[in-house]
Amino acid sequence: MSALLQVEGLTKRFGGLTAVKNVSFALQPGEITGILGPNGAGKTTLFNLLTGFIRPDRGTIVFGGAPLIGAAPHRIVNRGLARTFQLTRPFIGMTVLENVVVGCLAPRVRAEGHTEARACDMLDRVGLGAKADLVVDALSYGDLRRLEIARELVTRPKLLLLDEPFAGLGTSEIEPLAALIRQLHLAEGLTILIIEHRLREFMQLVRRVIAMDFGEIIATGTPSEIVRHPRVVEAYIGRGGDDLEARLGVTTTESIRGTA
Amino acid sequence: MLDILIYGAVISAVYALLAVGFTLIFGVARILNLAHGAFYALGAYCVYTLTANLHVPLVIAAIIAVLLVALFGIAMERVLVRPLRKLPPLAVLMMTLAVGLMVEQILLLIFGSEARNVPSLVESSFDFGGVLLSGQRLLAFFCSVAILGGLWLFMQHTRLGAAILAVSQDPEGARYMGIPSDRIFSIVMGLSAAIAAAAGVLVAPFQSVIPGMGLLPLVKAFAIVIVGGLGSIPGSIVGALLLGYSETIVAFKASIEWSQIVSVAAVLIVLIVRPAGFFGKRAAF
Amino acid sequence: MLAWGSLSKTDVIGAIIVVALLATAPFVGSRYIIGIMTVALCYAIWATSWDFMSGLTGRENFGHALFIGTGAYTAGFLNVSFGLSPWWGFPAAAIVAVLFSLLIGFPTLRLRGPYFALAMLSAAVVMQKLSIIFSETTGGQDGLNGLSPMLRSQVSAYYFTLGALVVTVTILKLIALSPWGTILRAIRGDEATCQAAGINVNFYKICALMISAAFAGFGGALYANYQLQVGPDLFDVALSINIIIMVYVGGMGSIYGPVGGALLLIGLTEGLRSFSEYRLWVYTLVLILILFFIPSGVIAPAWVRLRDWIRRSGATFARRANA
Repeated sequence: MSALLQVEGLTKRFGGLTAVKNVSFALQPGEITGILGPNGAGKTTLFNLLTGFIRPDRGTIVFGGAPLIGAAPHRIVNRGLARTFQLTRPFIGMTVLENVVVGCLAPRVRAEGHTEARACDMLDRVGLGAKADLVVDALSYGDLRRLEIARELVTRPKLLLLDEPFAGLGTSEIEPLAALIRQLHLAEGLTILIIEHRLREFMQLVRRVIAMDFGEIIATGTPSEIVRHPRVVEAYIGRGGDDLEARLGVTTTESIRGTA
Repeated sequence: MLDILIYGAVISAVYALLAVGFTLIFGVARILNLAHGAFYALGAYCVYTLTANLHVPLVIAAIIAVLLVALFGIAMERVLVRPLRKLPPLAVLMMTLAVGLMVEQILLLIFGSEARNVPSLVESSFDFGGVLLSGQRLLAFFCSVAILGGLWLFMQHTRLGAAILAVSQDPEGARYMGIPSDRIFSIVMGLSAAIAAAAGVLVAPFQSVIPGMGLLPLVKAFAIVIVGGLGSIPGSIVGALLLGYSETIVAFKASIEWSQIVSVAAVLIVLIVRPAGFFGKRAAF
Repeated sequence: MLAWGSLSKTDVIGAIIVVALLATAPFVGSRYIIGIMTVALCYAIWATSWDFMSGLTGRENFGHALFIGTGAYTAGFLNVSFGLSPWWGFPAAAIVAVLFSLLIGFPTLRLRGPYFALAMLSAAVVMQKLSIIFSETTGGQDGLNGLSPMLRSQVSAYYFTLGALVVTVTILKLIALSPWGTILRAIRGDEATCQAAGINVNFYKICALMISAAFAGFGGALYANYQLQVGPDLFDVALSINIIIMVYVGGMGSIYGPVGGALLLIGLTEGLRSFSEYRLWVYTLVLILILFFIPSGVIAPAWVRLRDWIRRSGATFARRANA
């Protein structure tokens, strides 16, 4: 079975800082994989590189057998690689339904027509059906996460990148969202790559974890292997990392918005 | 050749004054101040009123004019711009543009549309290897360089300057460090207005002082900061040199008329080739 | 920003009533009033076309006069210098304005930040300068005079302008209600998210600007053919900002609101005719009041309220009739 995504030697520097250093990995179709690392480890930059929001300095990305580098973000989505943002930024002032309709208008899926019906179906699936006509400004954080996923799912991705989908959610919101992700994976065989900086959410969800620190991959393995991996332990605890919650709010999403 | 070198230097110096203030308030407060040209025109008209109507000595008139315009800038920021900062940026843009047009209208109502004359401080002319340069242009050049140097010293060696730089580089961080960003915005708006007014005062004797005189300098300031990189002070100085000399060369080699297109052409070319400008953004000094 | 929703039967009836009222103007108004109204309808076309690009996508255009001026001068040149029939001026004006929109929009719209707004403003200012500098061809300060009139009577010119406005608003509103409009409003919401949804935002922004420019250029030609004169004031910054203020008053992103904004503001300034020096003051004052107190505008929100009231009372009436 050939890999759906093959990343080789990916490197990105911002000035003197190497945000992503020589990263290589592969994703098999139907796999659900996590990327773990403290804030500033280069996880979001990696996503931005994969989805074309930032151009890498070096390295190759092959998706579905064809190289991706140099393609504009919207083209990458239309080839079946969708992503969510860490900070949800919905289309303010538009309704929940309209927000998802925009995803249905991507060229690859637009020809299928029935945009509104498809958007409604998707909202039902993620559990937002009852809120379709609300203006998004009124949604809770958890609902915004679901909306974000719904908008990407209607583009019919082969690979879905989720950037810290659980960040900022309360425990009561995390479980249903995790169940949704699990269901997408099990029922449809969607390949999923999730960024998290907390191990807890990963443990039940993913089979394989890629741990990053300072832009490099430091370990790969099952969640239970990763927890005990000395370099991962060092990355979290050795740097005073027991204060993990304090780093929660810090994000790097601003940098992509700036260059987009 | 020498004439291009000399006239280009004078134009570039004045352009740098205009652009530095424009880029400063953008870099610090993210305000794109479309009233910047009005500050320039107000400076020229203030010095005109003070000398022609109130018979204040020219040097003192110049200083008063700069201070008055600085106060005007601060007042504009506090009363008209600050309440709109919560709205989309278009609102602030509209407001500054409205202020700019208002100032032009007021000047038109008071002074009419005919050009006014402001006396030169230095009457004599100087000969540079066959190129005759009026004393006022020479003065404008040296004063501009002095003001830019003063600004550099201020930013580098005072606490206030450091605070302004901090806000421009990281507004969030500066707030956590206890720097009152609102006050910094006011101060920078005042500073930016003062520098623009100084440019107006310096060129008033050899430019036609008319109510609409601020519009074209505003366009030049845009072009310069886009060439240099929005928010970058060294960038705006380099941009001023590039634009000042390009215009002078076009004016001497082709015609004055065509030199008007240089700024817009420069903007378009830079945006196509290197959108961040030649100095990137927010690299204040 | 309000979501303006879809078109209902009440909206269509409301629009028909407004058009019918405007159509009666020549029967009640004097020559002078009809002249003012024709100009106001031109402003309405300009404001609507501004709203289509900038109101929907949120990319503010500070030099709409660039398209108006180039359109008007194109019509003027064809008529005065080349002796072509005024009718040729309309398509030509639209095409030239679109070319200018590509020239400015292509390099600037793909960038975030105020580049597009600044480039538009600068381009309009420089075009105004050029139109004065190259006075042998453009007539300088006086502009081009003596265009041959396209229609014989003032009243037919008024109806022609009204028809043009109806066509403009209908086309732009239909686009705004289509998936295209959804995408344009999504661009206003967040460009990066839009890209993540697989939308080529640059393509849509540039298309929106081209459409906006085409109608503005067409409106410029219309104005030139009505005034029989073209001058550098058609590039004026004040014209650009007046148009934006009309859109603000009308309700940004609603497409039909700016028509009301244009009629209201022109009416207001004409009502204060003896203070014509203060025209810009009135506009600026209105702008400041709107910015501070009712940022969502007046006309479109007022119509939305009225429409909901009509629907509610209509429903009550139907219930009573059934009972």
